[in-house]
Amino acid sequence: MIKLINVNKAYKNKVKILQDVNLKINAGEFVSIVGQSGSGKTTLVKILIGEELVSSGQVFVGDWDISKIGKAEVPFLRRQIGVIFQDFKLLPKKTLRENVAFALEVCGQKQSKIDKVVSNVMKIVGLQNKMNSYPNEVSGGEQQRAVIARSLVHQPKILLADEPTGNLDAINANDVIDLLLKINDFGTTVILVTHNREIVNRLNRRVISIDAGKIISDQKNGKYII
Amino acid sequence: MMLSLLRAFKFSLQDISRNIWLSIITVTILILAMFSINTLILTKVISTSAVEAIKEKVDLSLYLKTDSNENDIFALQLKVNALEKVKEVQYISKQEALDSFRKKNENNPEILQALLELGKNPLSPSLVISPQNPNMVPELIEELRALDSNIIESRDFNDNRIILEKIDNITKRIDEVGFFVIAIFIITSLLVIYNSIKVAIYTHKKEIEIMRLVGASNSFIYAPFLMSSFIYTFIAVIIIILVSFPLLGILQPYLEVFFVGYNINVVSYFFDNFFLIFGLQFLIISLINVIASYIAVRRYSRV
Ligand SMILES: Nc1ncnc2c1ncn2[C@@H]1O[C@H](COP(=O)(O)OP(=O)(O)OP(=O)(O)O)[C@@H](O)[C@H]1O
Ligand SMILES: [Mg+2]
Repeated sequence: MIKLINVNKAYKNKVKILQDVNLKINAGEFVSIVGQSGSGKTTLVKILIGEELVSSGQVFVGDWDISKIGKAEVPFLRRQIGVIFQDFKLLPKKTLRENVAFALEVCGQKQSKIDKVVSNVMKIVGLQNKMNSYPNEVSGGEQQRAVIARSLVHQPKILLADEPTGNLDAINANDVIDLLLKINDFGTTVILVTHNREIVNRLNRRVISIDAGKIISDQKNGKYII
Repeated sequence: MMLSLLRAFKFSLQDISRNIWLSIITVTILILAMFSINTLILTKVISTSAVEAIKEKVDLSLYLKTDSNENDIFALQLKVNALEKVKEVQYISKQEALDSFRKKNENNPEILQALLELGKNPLSPSLVISPQNPNMVPELIEELRALDSNIIESRDFNDNRIILEKIDNITKRIDEVGFFVIAIFIITSLLVIYNSIKVAIYTHKKEIEIMRLVGASNSFIYAPFLMSSFIYTFIAVIIIILVSFPLLGILQPYLEVFFVGYNINVVSYFFDNFFLIFGLQFLIISLINVIASYIAVRRYSRV
């Protein structure tokens, strides 16, 4: 599903952030990526969604080599990959329902389809009763679940979650992780970037550890080792 | 496609109304720009009509001795008519001159009385010459001056060359200044639109970020901003049209007084050339705005 071959990445200042990263993630996997702050995890996520280009090497999403992806193609990549960040990126003046619908509206979907998809994904994340609340009227966990709902509207094959629990307390964090597991059960490949030792250890899934831009371990039923 | 356009339209209307003051300023600057351009067009129309009017007024007359023999006069008429730069020579006999003099002074009984008291026709017959081409009048005058005939009593060449030159100079000056005025206004409106779009992008920063995140196509991100600048232009053009015609209507009577006897109608000029004048301005300013918005969106939303 995802393949990185000899990927190197340096930003404009030429400091190498990712070095010789080789990685293969199969369809339907649930992978955690761990590493210290500044080790290059978010950079990896940005490469996968086409926001940053690699300095050298190849990146495949499906059969698609996105290492030299053009600006015009990025939107199509984004529709295949759901993304969740630590800050929720919800529009404060729109209700949760409108926030989720927005993602489809701006991609030119028909209203009837939007209504159907939105109520579906809201059901999946368990927010059908909060659809008409504004972001500031619900908890952080619920906000993050709305973001997850939004990331699902295009029925992505891959879900990237960059520290989705970073701003949440333990209970809300566990809710979000359970939701990611549920989505993974539907067959979606989930990549979770996290700092949270308990979560990684509880998951008992594949763990990739990054340090200073290099993969230092890749365990099948891994623990948090850093 | 239709749906996307509608959504972009909704988005852009929201944006215009949420930043209403910025929108008003933008539209005002555009109106001022178009106002100055139209003023230039107007001065151009008036000065061209003035030149035409004065050219028409070129009046070359040869006054002949009162006792001239008609045969001599006809001979002279033929001779003048044979000149290359002459279009037409009209012979005005003593009697015709008198008739037209009477007619001209219809309302002036004192003059008519004086004429009556004189007892005879004091007016000279004359040849009125129309030039082939107003631009050749000076040369024609030279030729007429050189004309040798003993029946010519006096020559009256009412040459408006100096006035024409003056008007010509003024027109040229207007053209030069006009070029700068238009250039300045084009640049100003470019900057103003650029700035409004920039502010609009700032207020929609989060929306744009999310749009990009969820895979909205680039054209969808551009569309509302381009639409906004289009709407600004449209409103400005409508207002300038609504303002122009009443103003031209007010101006028209003054022009008529100034150019008595000449056909000058600025209202109908602007009306006849409506699409050329306003349509072209709309197209050009839209184009400028689209370019400005495109650059702004590119720069500030990393599309
Ligand atoms: N746009 C950029 N330009 C230059 N350097 C950058 C840029 N973005 C990130 N970096 C640098 O790249 C390194 C890796 O950043 P990255 O955000 O990938 O780390 P991370 O592993 O996600 O960290 P954290 O756990 O704190 O989120 C950091 O040293 C950061 O300063
Ligand atoms: Mg990060």
